[in-house]
Amino acid sequence: MEDCNVHSAASILASVKEQEARFERLTRALEQERRHVALQLERAQQPGMVSGGMGSGQPLPMAWQQLVLQEQSPGSQASLATMPEAPDVLEETVTVEEDPGTPTSHVSIVTSEDGTTRRTETKVTKTVKTVTTRTVRQVPVGPDGLPLLDGGPPLGPFADGALDRHFLLRGGGPVATLSRAYLSSGGGFPEGPEPRDSPSYGSLSRGLGMRPPRAGPLGPGPGDGCFTLPGHREAFPVGPEPGPPGGRSLPERFQAEPYGLEDDTRSLAADDEGGPELEPDYGTATRRRPECGRGLHTRAYEDTADDGGELADERPAFPMVTAPLAQPERGSMGSLDRLVRRSPSVDSARKEPRWRDPELPEVLAMLRHPVDPVKANAAAYLQHLCFENEGVKRRVRQLRGLPLLVALLDHPRAEVRRRACGALRNLSYGRDTDNKAAIRDCGGVPALVRLLRAARDNEVRELVTGTLWNLSSYEPLKMVIIDHGLQTLTHEVIVPHSGWEREPNEDSKPRDAEWTTVFKNTSGCLRNVSSDGAEARRRLRECEGLVDALLHALQSAVGRKDTDNKSVENCVCIMRNLSYHVHKEVPGADRYQEAEPGPLGSAVGSQRRRRDDASCFGGKKAKGKKDGEMDRNFDTLDLPKRTEAAKGFELLYQPEVVRLYLSLLTESRNFNTLEAAAGALQNLSAGNWMWATYIRATVRKERGLPVLVELLQSETDKVVRAVAIALRNLSLDRRNKDLIGSYAMAELVRNVRNAQAPPRPGACLEEDTVVAVLNTIHEIVSDSLDNARSLLQARGVPALVALVASSQSVREAKAASHVLQTVWSYKELRGTLQKDGWTKARFQSAAATAKGPKGALSPGGFDDSTLPLVDKSLEGEKTGSRDVIPMDALGPDGYSTVDRRERRPRGASSAGEASEKEPLKLDPSRKAPPPGPSRPAVRLVDAVGDAKPQPVDSWV
Amino acid sequence: MSYIPGQPVTAVVVIEIHKLRQGENLILGFSIGGGIDQDPSQNPFSEDKTDKGIYVTRVSEGGPAEIAGLQIGDKIMQVNGWDMTMVTHDQARKRLTKRSEEVVRLLVTRQSLQKAVQQSMLS
Repeated sequence: MEDCNVHSAASILASVKEQEARFERLTRALEQERRHVALQLERAQQPGMVSGGMGSGQPLPMAWQQLVLQEQSPGSQASLATMPEAPDVLEETVTVEEDPGTPTSHVSIVTSEDGTTRRTETKVTKTVKTVTTRTVRQVPVGPDGLPLLDGGPPLGPFADGALDRHFLLRGGGPVATLSRAYLSSGGGFPEGPEPRDSPSYGSLSRGLGMRPPRAGPLGPGPGDGCFTLPGHREAFPVGPEPGPPGGRSLPERFQAEPYGLEDDTRSLAADDEGGPELEPDYGTATRRRPECGRGLHTRAYEDTADDGGELADERPAFPMVTAPLAQPERGSMGSLDRLVRRSPSVDSARKEPRWRDPELPEVLAMLRHPVDPVKANAAAYLQHLCFENEGVKRRVRQLRGLPLLVALLDHPRAEVRRRACGALRNLSYGRDTDNKAAIRDCGGVPALVRLLRAARDNEVRELVTGTLWNLSSYEPLKMVIIDHGLQTLTHEVIVPHSGWEREPNEDSKPRDAEWTTVFKNTSGCLRNVSSDGAEARRRLRECEGLVDALLHALQSAVGRKDTDNKSVENCVCIMRNLSYHVHKEVPGADRYQEAEPGPLGSAVGSQRRRRDDASCFGGKKAKGKKDGEMDRNFDTLDLPKRTEAAKGFELLYQPEVVRLYLSLLTESRNFNTLEAAAGALQNLSAGNWMWATYIRATVRKERGLPVLVELLQSETDKVVRAVAIALRNLSLDRRNKDLIGSYAMAELVRNVRNAQAPPRPGACLEEDTVVAVLNTIHEIVSDSLDNARSLLQARGVPALVALVASSQSVREAKAASHVLQTVWSYKELRGTLQKDGWTKARFQSAAATAKGPKGALSPGGFDDSTLPLVDKSLEGEKTGSRDVIPMDALGPDGYSTVDRRERRPRGASSAGEASEKEPLKLDPSRKAPPPGPSRPAVRLVDAVGDAKPQPVDSWV
Repeated sequence: MSYIPGQPVTAVVVIEIHKLRQGENLILGFSIGGGIDQDPSQNPFSEDKTDKGIYVTRVSEGGPAEIAGLQIGDKIMQVNGWDMTMVTHDQARKRLTKRSEEVVRLLVTRQSLQKAVQQSMLS
């Protein structure tokens, strides 16, 4: 269907152009005759030569028109005869995606502004910056302008030749971009070469065919219809003339053009690879925008008309396009105006040679132009203007341009939809959230989703998903996207591209995931929305096939050792987010809660243990042993047998996923992926339910602990943090705790040291990370004399004392002193400590200061800190602290720090967040923010609900 | 149904929704907010915060309303000819959910339409 549109558009365009060109030629010829200008006599001999950009636009007096009509056929024939080369003329449209700032558009996003920020937001950055339209004469000339010039002489006689040349020149040059936009309406459509042998009539009839679209109020009156039409056409780039003899009435015939196809591929390639070759051009284009503007004007013929159309003359003018080209209203409005009233005659045009860029309001007005190609080009130009230009984006919003673009998403023409979507993608990109909100307010999300469902063209799908990715970084839009697009995104993109099959065919081997741009964009979008809270998680988990497909994609990535790309990162981040709070949120989760210390109740057991410890430190040892026994039993315990294969969200927490995450942790070089995978393990190992117990044991059995410990050496702060927290949760398992104490202590202590004395500049750990590491040490040391010994052996005490003394961060100091306090509580170690010259004051004072502010450091507080650890971390996640809960972190991940911050205030989660890092804090603050802050999507309801008892929002 | 640039626009569109039978119920697949008994200042969709009209607050994906082109934020002016601008929330709900009516015709206005109309008048 798209193809159809394209072709028909192309053919229409072509016919328009042809007609226009002829008309102009004729007009020109007549005029010349009338004037009997000496200079033009030469030309008169070659009627075809007159290129008539100018002429076409001008209103001719009635009489003139008549004349023209009568002469048309002869004229056209003449031109036909003269123009053997015509068939060679081709017009190409090239769409280039460019990343403005960053040469490689794709990469740009990942990293970000402040070290903390990871901007998933939108890689979208790559934008279709430009569409270039150029006319190429295949035969005589290379695609470059230069060859053309050489070829010029032969072409000279023909008006088309002249036109083309102009085009070419400009097209080839940097300027191309602009020209596209204004020029024309037709520019965007691929046009094929068409033989011109057809009678001029053909073009007329085609022109008539075209009329209906213009039929609006602006349309030409019946009387002058024929003439007007050509005039309108002017709007189209003059290019090649379409002309298969038979094909006129049937635009579809023109379809065959290889060029259109070629263009597509090209643009795709550009997309994927950043369009290396094309970029230079564009770059230039951008830089030279002003000149480009003039270039637009380019319609070759117009110029020609002005200066008499001598090829020779024009060439020199070329570089400095300005003067000759200029025509006052060539701009976007030009075409509009012409619709209503004929633009000034040739003469008047000559008087005002200057040409200007269309103003933004004019471009927006063109979005409502009755001629589809004009709309498409206006949108494309808008996209170009908005590229990385916040000011323009703002103005487009203020001028109410977004609703227009959104409306165009439902346009019958594929080209128009595509261009509108491209413009929306650029408009939706960036930190400024107002445009995102505006797109939502005019129904942009459902419209995009509709387009995605309907579109088969890959480029459109990329644009739609890219736009959605951009939109998804805006908190209030997340639920909207889930409401409107989750099913579609999952079933149209994620599932098919992941290679997952609902009914696996046993004969064929499983398909691998395809890391397409569409998949990347879509997974990025889902990654962002998955951070929106409990309701969002529920929706995603329950979306049929989503979890299955993501897991399949990740497994396929691991299988192919292709784990560094962005799509994998997005998938892991979604998985991590969905794993957050599974033990509380999954339907039927309470069945698995380990309320009582069952055979597997290591988690519960440890809880109890800690409470006891709190009141009586002396009792640890014995209890520790007991728990140890339980865990040992657990070691031999079989994982539950399933009667049927897990599916859907159950897959999130099956012990089988451990191997997947560990593989990613081993294989991937992408820090975000590493962090997310560690975060997933962290989320899964939290909570007091059966599955967490299994997960903790499985990590050990799969030899995951060494993998995690090794990552403590990572150079990337956030990876260290996620791993540290994961280790803390894993150490709820008694055996894990012993192992971690033995093998990880040295690394943990090293990180503490690095906190004070970074091994290299810039390697300084963030406060959150340091606190996370300290909390992990605390967790490991609590309840385990052996681990406390390990800490001493690793020379952790001096490091901790130094940190307490020197740290600028209250939280770090508190966390460190808390560890010291715990260490001192082991009477067995005091002798050793004193031998080393430490005094009680070092430990107690630290603890005291720590307690002081909070007043909660009593043993009871201690308990809290430890036990809640898991829960705490969960809460933290919810609130959005990244450490604890990767999910939020991930989500934000996509976004940026900024997002996270914004989110916290909203959810009242700030308390929760803080709590995460500071184990000592009491729960009250944590609990204050209840898990389910709100569902953004249903704001109206919620809001109203507060105010009135009545149903605020009712499904009907 | 949706606004197409270049075509004459009216600020109001008629949307015909064929209810979907789900078990015993006929559903339209959208939710409404507002009404003269509701606090209009809480309505995120209205420009005029004193507007007590009935607004579409959610549209279920793939549901009858979405298929018919209803959009979130649309203001419902009439349902099968009945005025909806001065009704309570519950009245509106009942009017929409009449079991005897399998098809409802909504007269709906939306901001994008109004803006488009305004713009076209300006330009």
